[in-house]
Amino acid sequence: MSSHANTQDGHAAHDDHHHDPGFWSKYVFSTDHKTIGIQYAITAMLFLAFGFYLMMVMRWSIAYPHQPLPEWMSWIFTDGWKARWLQDGKVTGETYNMFGAMHGTIMVFLGIVPLGFGAFGNYVTPLQIGAVDMAFPKLNMLSYWIYLAGGLIMCASFFMESGAAKSGWTNYSPLAGFADGQVVNQWLAGQTQWLLGLVFLITSSLLGSVNFITTIINLRARGMTWMRLPFLVWAMLVTAFLLLLAFPPLEAAGIMQLIDRVGHSSFFMPSGLYTKGDGLADLSGGGSPLLFQHLFWFLGHPEVYVLLLPAFACVSEIIPANTRKPLWGYKSMVYSVLLLGFLSFIVWAHHMYMTGMGAAVSTFFQTTTVLISVPSVVIITALLISLWGGSIRFTPPMMWACAFIPMFGIGGLTGLPLAFNLVGLHLHDTYYVIGHFHYVVAPGILFGFFAGILHWYPKITGRYMSGFLNHLHFWPSLICMNLIFFPMLMQGMAGFHRRWYNGGDAYLSKAQDSVNIFGNTVAENIDMNILMSYGAWGLAFFQIFFIINLFGSWKFGKKAVGDNPWEATTLEWATPTPPGHGNFLFEPVVYRGPYEYSRPDCDEDFLPQWIEPKHAAPADKPEVTPAAKH
Amino acid sequence: MEIPYIVTPRKDTGLCNSKIAIWLFLASEVMLFGGFFSAYVFLRLGADYPWPERTLPVLPGLINTFVLIGSSVTVVFAWAALKMRDWRKFQIYMGITVFCAVIFMVLKGIEYNVKLNHQAVRLKDYTVMEGHLSYEKDGGQYVLDHNGKKIEENLIFVEASKLTFSTVRFHGPWVDELLAKAEHKNAKILLDADVAVVSEEGKPAEIIAKAGEVLSKDLLNRIRESHLAARSHNGALRTASLREEWKDALAENPGKKGWELTSNVNIDIEGITPKLLTETPAVAFKVEPPVPLSFKPRDIKEADGQSRLRDDTVVDGKLLPSPMVFHNVDAIDFQHLAMKAVKKGVDPIVAIENSWLLQNSPFAKEAWEWHQGEVAKHEAQLIRDYGMDKDGKPKREPTLKERYRIGWKELAKKAEHDGRAKLSTSAALTEEFMGPNYKARGAETFPEFSLPREQIGFAAKFTPAWNTYYALYFTITGLHGLHVIGGALVLAYYMFFGRKMYLSNPEWLANRVEVGGLFWHFVDLVWIFVFPVLYLM
Repeated sequence: MSSHANTQDGHAAHDDHHHDPGFWSKYVFSTDHKTIGIQYAITAMLFLAFGFYLMMVMRWSIAYPHQPLPEWMSWIFTDGWKARWLQDGKVTGETYNMFGAMHGTIMVFLGIVPLGFGAFGNYVTPLQIGAVDMAFPKLNMLSYWIYLAGGLIMCASFFMESGAAKSGWTNYSPLAGFADGQVVNQWLAGQTQWLLGLVFLITSSLLGSVNFITTIINLRARGMTWMRLPFLVWAMLVTAFLLLLAFPPLEAAGIMQLIDRVGHSSFFMPSGLYTKGDGLADLSGGGSPLLFQHLFWFLGHPEVYVLLLPAFACVSEIIPANTRKPLWGYKSMVYSVLLLGFLSFIVWAHHMYMTGMGAAVSTFFQTTTVLISVPSVVIITALLISLWGGSIRFTPPMMWACAFIPMFGIGGLTGLPLAFNLVGLHLHDTYYVIGHFHYVVAPGILFGFFAGILHWYPKITGRYMSGFLNHLHFWPSLICMNLIFFPMLMQGMAGFHRRWYNGGDAYLSKAQDSVNIFGNTVAENIDMNILMSYGAWGLAFFQIFFIINLFGSWKFGKKAVGDNPWEATTLEWATPTPPGHGNFLFEPVVYRGPYEYSRPDCDEDFLPQWIEPKHAAPADKPEVTPAAKH
Repeated sequence: MEIPYIVTPRKDTGLCNSKIAIWLFLASEVMLFGGFFSAYVFLRLGADYPWPERTLPVLPGLINTFVLIGSSVTVVFAWAALKMRDWRKFQIYMGITVFCAVIFMVLKGIEYNVKLNHQAVRLKDYTVMEGHLSYEKDGGQYVLDHNGKKIEENLIFVEASKLTFSTVRFHGPWVDELLAKAEHKNAKILLDADVAVVSEEGKPAEIIAKAGEVLSKDLLNRIRESHLAARSHNGALRTASLREEWKDALAENPGKKGWELTSNVNIDIEGITPKLLTETPAVAFKVEPPVPLSFKPRDIKEADGQSRLRDDTVVDGKLLPSPMVFHNVDAIDFQHLAMKAVKKGVDPIVAIENSWLLQNSPFAKEAWEWHQGEVAKHEAQLIRDYGMDKDGKPKREPTLKERYRIGWKELAKKAEHDGRAKLSTSAALTEEFMGPNYKARGAETFPEFSLPREQIGFAAKFTPAWNTYYALYFTITGLHGLHVIGGALVLAYYMFFGRKMYLSNPEWLANRVEVGGLFWHFVDLVWIFVFPVLYLM
């Protein structure tokens, strides 16, 4: 497209509006970053719903051990599938492991990352920097399709004879090397398919991150210097670097594990490995299971920030727009997010305190882990202080953004004890850990994304989402989230292991009165399982209002007035609604920082980045190179 | 709409889009190969077996190094030619670059091929032998498989009289293979007994397969379908029954928690039995007459009497001795054995002399004695060259490998010393690429040897399965090779199909070649690390 545009002199400004691209190239094989963003969003939300369903099945087994799955949950499956995977309708240990492993995988790799980075990153970033599209639009399309292929490969394995992967989302060897070993053609085993899917997903995120960084570096509008970038763009830039540099070692691990499975090598298989089913393994041995853990968590920890930063990004755009005052401490937030990105590469072994590392090593990782909480706290504090003294508009997105701060706060603060080696040993693999990171991911990150969807919805569709339906969605979700995850923290401290498939029933019958150091017993806490499961059913039910709101408002929502309905200052609101291919009707030029709200020298309480100053002050000059300015 | 900075660089960053992108991509590639090299360090430091040092042919690796460095130079010339708008020169230099890639891959292919056809076996006492293998019949003939080919891999032989297939899990290709193997030996595989099933509620059983029917995938599939239908039907019945029972139990015990009742709630078996259909999870076939069938060790959990295959097929029959015949034995390696002996506090030399191989093979014994002489000579030479330290110990000693490994070069040297075949210079040079020349050097140099199965600890070709070193070698060089192929394809594309773009926008093409060239340099750089790490260290 650009090639012939280049050769036709005088037609350089030609745009694509005057020829209709047709349904397929407009909505399906589109190279437009906005369409791709929406594709990512819808696909990711479908995967999130599927992952949520898997969790509900697990929660049933935990709350009601040995009771058959109720019909309202099991109708999705065919009788044949149920006969294979549910023993007399009950969730077996094998099925529980499969659902647990896939719940984690789907939520992390197929749900949150594509929603945060793929959807918000794609839709908003080029708009906010004033670019016509991503630097490589075709590559952008390719990364979406590779992601979809990877996701479908992983999920297709549910219907194979072997079932999907069962070794946890961390896929530790040697368990993951042996799982599904009974399948003769290893390429058709769920555990192998997981690895293949992973290689696809890594390729997708690699293409995506190269594209994002190039776009942010090279396609910024005139006058968009580094310190005039909205915080969202900074967060996406750091996220892209994390994906670019942290994923490849996991790809290396994935390839090695794949060769362990199909080539019978022993990268991660120790010598003299004996299993009950197969006896002494017919393998050379000499490998190291620990190596896999290192490579996995080298990705795994930056991955946490890949999940989190897009949520920070959404919230930090919504808060200034709704408090009508600048983001407090913009620069310290930028430096914090850069530091966060750097530190996230050197904390990985805090996931591995149980592997018997020496005191020196664990002290190092303990220190870096405590250090990394500093930039996170800076960011969250800056967001909190941003509320101070603002004339807050409690719009629907703002409600979610406000809930994000304390919910993420609980998630983050409950993580601090885990940073310490000694406490980590006690709480390792308990529900405390599950409670901690779910507080970060579910009421934290997902609330940030709900906020983002509500905030940019008027730009995408030209209509607001319903405030009434949002109330029906927001308040119950807030309550249910806490109903599910707060008891987990208590159970964890009482010693509940995270992988008990029947809710600890088997454990209870053997050691009913076991008391741990917190003086809590398993028996005292087991009935919380039922309460938590009700929380999960409730959460599922109230998402229906969101789905109605999301699709209903497309047609029936209240019309947004103008192109800048929130009266915000960043460049995405300078585009027509919805933005066409090429985004801007005029060449955007940036004159000032991203959060110029309530300037005393202005009549209105916001001054967008693209408005030309009446009397150009020296600081407002557009053509300033980043180096010269800062 | 047009994306800016495709051809011309942006002023403040000084870069065009593709340049940024390729550097980012290379950064991620560095992390990818970094992952593998960290794995190398981790596995080598933690290895509990003697790490193979300098086992790969250095000469082809060295040639490949220069070939790649040369191609990195010519790719720059090609780019420069394009900048000077000299299409012909560009094509020539690019042609040389791509040709270098082909040479590299051909040499790599030869190297791989030699490895993949070379057998290694680790005995139970950790003696390692290398060579080629086959199976011997009583009369001295090689055992052939059902396709008439010599069997050259480690196999387990069972005199099968009965095969019981799992109807759900049987592996189709294996069924065909078993049929072919049996047919090759004039045996038939026939259904052992009638398969009678109740396939509809309340109806009498009907026969869906008769005793004496010949094994086929269709037959198994037919039974499988009936089984799966019955399993689904019965599963639904059992689930419904259990749900009822739970409902009753919870109603009868108000205030009690579900988990307190678990042991009391069971399916009403008597109630549902009349409605159940017949499940046929397994079906048995007899082999007439019983014949020896062979299986790969990792596919079978062998036991005398009843063995089980990976797809849950049960094979009835006694295990056959099936000694592994090693011909062209081209290395005897006691490093692992010595390492184990030292760990146990035993003198390694004593352990080696007591090893099964030296006790049972006169050839190995002779070779070991010759080797001991060579080591002594080498030791004396080292003392002459480097002298003693203050404590009166030699400054340098033979390495573990020099002490305990008798490689093919040493066996060849011994044979030459004994006055046997000596190779011409060109034949010896070929050996540097292709490995030992068994034909020219003969069975006296690389003899044949029969290993009883009970002595075998682990056997594999020189593939990723043999040890973590070879696993790393194949993975890293394989991935590097894929990069070479990918890069060469892209560069070849510019060479063959770049003309159109050259005429319309030569600067853009030059940009692309520059980016491709950067990638090519990276591929070269990776090899500069791979070569010393895998070939020399």
